Amino acid sequence: MNVGVLWARLKGLARRRELDRELQDEIAAHLELAAAENLGRGIGPEEARRLAAVRFGSVASAKEGVWDERGLPGLASCLQDARYAVRGMRTNPGFTLVMVATLALGVGLCSVLFSVLNGFVLRPVPGVSDAGRLVTLQAPVPYPYFERYRDEKGLSAGMAAFIGPVPFGVAVNAGADGKTERVFGHIVSPDYFSTLGVTPLLGRFFDPALESPGAGATVVVSERFWRMRLHADPRVVGRALRVNGRQATIVGVGPKDFLGIFPSTPAEVFLPVTADPAVAPELADDILHRTTQPAFRVLVRLRPGMTMAATEARLDAHTRELDQQTAKRGPEQKGRQVHLLLAGQASPLSIPERSLVVTFYTLLVGLILSLTCSNLAGLVLARGSARFREIAIRLSIGASRFRVIRQLLTESLILAALGGVAGFAAAYGLLDLLARFRGDSALLQSEIAFTPDLRVALFAFLISALAGAGFGLLPALAATRADLASALKASMGTRPRRYRRFGLRNLFVVYQVAAAMMLILIMGFWSSGLRNAANLDPGFDPAPLQFFSLDPARDGLAPNQSAALFTGLAQRLARLPGVESVTLADQPPLNLTVANRSVSVPPVPSGSRESVHAVAFMSIGPGYFATLGAPLVRGAEFSERDLGLDAAPSNILPAVINQTAAKDLFGGADPLGRRIRQDAGDVQRTFQVTGVVRYDRQSLVVNRPVATIFLPLTRYDLRRGSQSGTIVLLRARTHLDGATVRRELASIDPNLTMFNPQTMREFLAAANRVVQSGIGFTSGVGLFGLLLACVGLAGVTAQAVERRHKEIGIRMALGARPPQVMRLVMREGSVMISAGAAFGFAGAYGISRVLAAASAQMAEIFGWSSGNRALTVGIPLLLVSLAAIACYLPARRSSSLDPLVALREE
Amino acid sequence: MPKLDLLQGTLDLLVLRTLVSMGPLHGYGIARRIEQLSGDEVLLNQGTIYAALVRLQNRGWIAAEWGASDNNRRAKYYSITRSGRKRLTEETSYWQRLSAVIGRVLAPSEGGPK
Repeated sequence: MNVGVLWARLKGLARRRELDRELQDEIAAHLELAAAENLGRGIGPEEARRLAAVRFGSVASAKEGVWDERGLPGLASCLQDARYAVRGMRTNPGFTLVMVATLALGVGLCSVLFSVLNGFVLRPVPGVSDAGRLVTLQAPVPYPYFERYRDEKGLSAGMAAFIGPVPFGVAVNAGADGKTERVFGHIVSPDYFSTLGVTPLLGRFFDPALESPGAGATVVVSERFWRMRLHADPRVVGRALRVNGRQATIVGVGPKDFLGIFPSTPAEVFLPVTADPAVAPELADDILHRTTQPAFRVLVRLRPGMTMAATEARLDAHTRELDQQTAKRGPEQKGRQVHLLLAGQASPLSIPERSLVVTFYTLLVGLILSLTCSNLAGLVLARGSARFREIAIRLSIGASRFRVIRQLLTESLILAALGGVAGFAAAYGLLDLLARFRGDSALLQSEIAFTPDLRVALFAFLISALAGAGFGLLPALAATRADLASALKASMGTRPRRYRRFGLRNLFVVYQVAAAMMLILIMGFWSSGLRNAANLDPGFDPAPLQFFSLDPARDGLAPNQSAALFTGLAQRLARLPGVESVTLADQPPLNLTVANRSVSVPPVPSGSRESVHAVAFMSIGPGYFATLGAPLVRGAEFSERDLGLDAAPSNILPAVINQTAAKDLFGGADPLGRRIRQDAGDVQRTFQVTGVVRYDRQSLVVNRPVATIFLPLTRYDLRRGSQSGTIVLLRARTHLDGATVRRELASIDPNLTMFNPQTMREFLAAANRVVQSGIGFTSGVGLFGLLLACVGLAGVTAQAVERRHKEIGIRMALGARPPQVMRLVMREGSVMISAGAAFGFAGAYGISRVLAAASAQMAEIFGWSSGNRALTVGIPLLLVSLAAIACYLPARRSSSLDPLVALREE
Repeated sequence: MPKLDLLQGTLDLLVLRTLVSMGPLHGYGIARRIEQLSGDEVLLNQGTIYAALVRLQNRGWIAAEWGASDNNRRAKYYSITRSGRKRLTEETSYWQRLSAVIGRVLAPSEGGPK
């Protein structure tokens, strides 16, 4: 059909009524003309009319012929199907409600899952063009390495280096008295923006010609920062900001939604790598020319036609060459030096990681969806039996099988549409609420947008349609397969036995039990794994502790000033009323820490082999463990004299190690006085153990003691401040309010800005909240599976018993006693339930093994919990007993059946 | 029910042909004219003509206008359009070729099977 005809047909559809009237007139005129002609031939008026009508043929079929030419083919009958379906739903509102609610639950849950997946790995980085072609090196490299990669012809379609996320103290009022806010940003090479393919909303981005060293400091701000902190001022270019205490001129504003390449840690300000180290302390020590300081992340836009693997191989070759030239590493380095990660989504991922995540979520969605479908199909089947006669009648009076199937499909698709809309709306509401709950107007330090977008809507639409077709088609096929004679003649109870054993219904029951078991077990493993992680013992009493952060270097204090400030600070704050002790640290006590640095222990009787170990480092002030309330088992902790030591490599720093480290590094030997060596790039540092603390610092995700080496905060540390600033930890009898601390700080230096003040309890609760929400989510999914399974099983078994009413009636009339009937019904049910449970258990176990093998984090979660008796025994028991109840209730009803009533039914 | 395909195509062709030779005509006139021309050999349910008329209109080969009939009744008059004429020429030659071929194939062969 060509477009013109389609258009004409559509016009016909629109003017349907008018055209129908015209057709009516036309036919009337036709008949009259014919009659008049017959009259002219001398036939009587009555007969003339009759003959005209005979020659015309059926008026109805003439009209139908015209209607077939007008409007859209098939549309009319589809509308008819739909109308019929809606009428059917109205007469059975309970059934409709259950169906729509089940679907809404299924679609909603799948949409939420998909939104999470979408936020993590599918949604491209906002504001960036063609994000799918962006990759990043897993490990940071020295700047000269980047320059070498970049200058290599034909390696990439663009390359950039950056340091980030880096905190900046930014004051909007460039005057000295402005309030400083801590925001994160990237320090970028000039090609950063061109590699990402972003264009400025206002002004310009960096240009090597304009950002030469010595020129005034310049800064690019994000559109969000511009909107929220600069009132979307259109004349903002050329205005000055105070960045880390120095004036910097705004030269450009980024495009809408653009928050740097890793939006999970949004970048609000961008500084060029040529900036003065006074503005960006990260650039100190001539870092752009050092081949031994791997500080820069490298972003690569893949060349068209070049694969990630090929790019990785070439980068690797260059890196090896450079390593040789700089004599940084010995020739014994094996394996790839360079690993590329996909950079186009919320946070960088390797390809196997991404496929693992995608597979896992696909599996979950598939399980939920198929569970929903089999549930609904069971319900439809259950009703289908009641409708067998209706369908059989329609088939017997000439409806084609296709037509009947289409009718049934239309019904299920309408239900699917209703359920899909409700489910998507629920998912949207939920996630939108979550997003609102998280971020009002703050410049968040970390966020991943999970709010459903068009992609999620499309997904919800697709799975609803799939579910509709899935649960509608099978029963429709089954219902229309019934041979007419037996369906019409027989009542439902005496359908041929041959359908029973491997019938569709039984498969549904088995599948339903199996899928529910898998879903609940996996979710149970997951949530108990998380619970295990959340249930951590901090190793100290958090009640009397509170802390805040300072970063004087970013408040504009000179490095020496800032180091000096800290030496007196603790004593000063300790004099405040209620404060027992005060100490410093470079990070909060519990963190996302993993032992990822390697150190070696020189053997004491020299000559034997040096052993190498993985540890975590933390820098702390004097009296740290006393303040924390974690006692030392050997030696002593750092004193005032250890604060601000010179960090020169020749200096042997004192070190306190925790028990785990003592065991790992020295076995049973006494660690006091022993040496530990660390090779960090070009510098070799040596520490001497002066104390052992019981405190086995644990990180939040990996719930294992982490071997940790505590070093005193050096002068270098105090001058620069870490990413979280310098933590000031207070132990106080009563809570110290922020105003008191601020007053005290202001008396030291008016520019000093305190940030992230919190009590230790708040901090631990916030950390736990992340895990708790994970637990809530997984438990929710598991509960949903349980609910679905119960509803489905009850429906299907009740219906199976109903279908055998007549048989049971006969058996009882012939003398069967109620217990025998019960056994009969229960036996069938329990065989199916056991089969399903076995399949489900095996499936869940297999899946958790595969997932554990694929990723360390999954192994952490599943490894612990799949050995958990409460889960591996409890969940199957729970499910099987629920299924047994679902089976028992209708069985009992059937055993109390009055045989006379059952036999007389229908 | 007769095979629609052939009948449809043929009826459309006959309608176009009638309109070319007779000028604008109402539905009854077209049906009568076809019956007359075919010597009443085509058994035509006159009602079926209206579906053909809508189909031809949709394709833009004929146009319709309300007018007064001979006995002063309101009637819809159909006339052939320019593209309708073009179509008729194409269809006619196609039809002639087809019927020639069919005739040739179906003609009783002189020598019988060889």
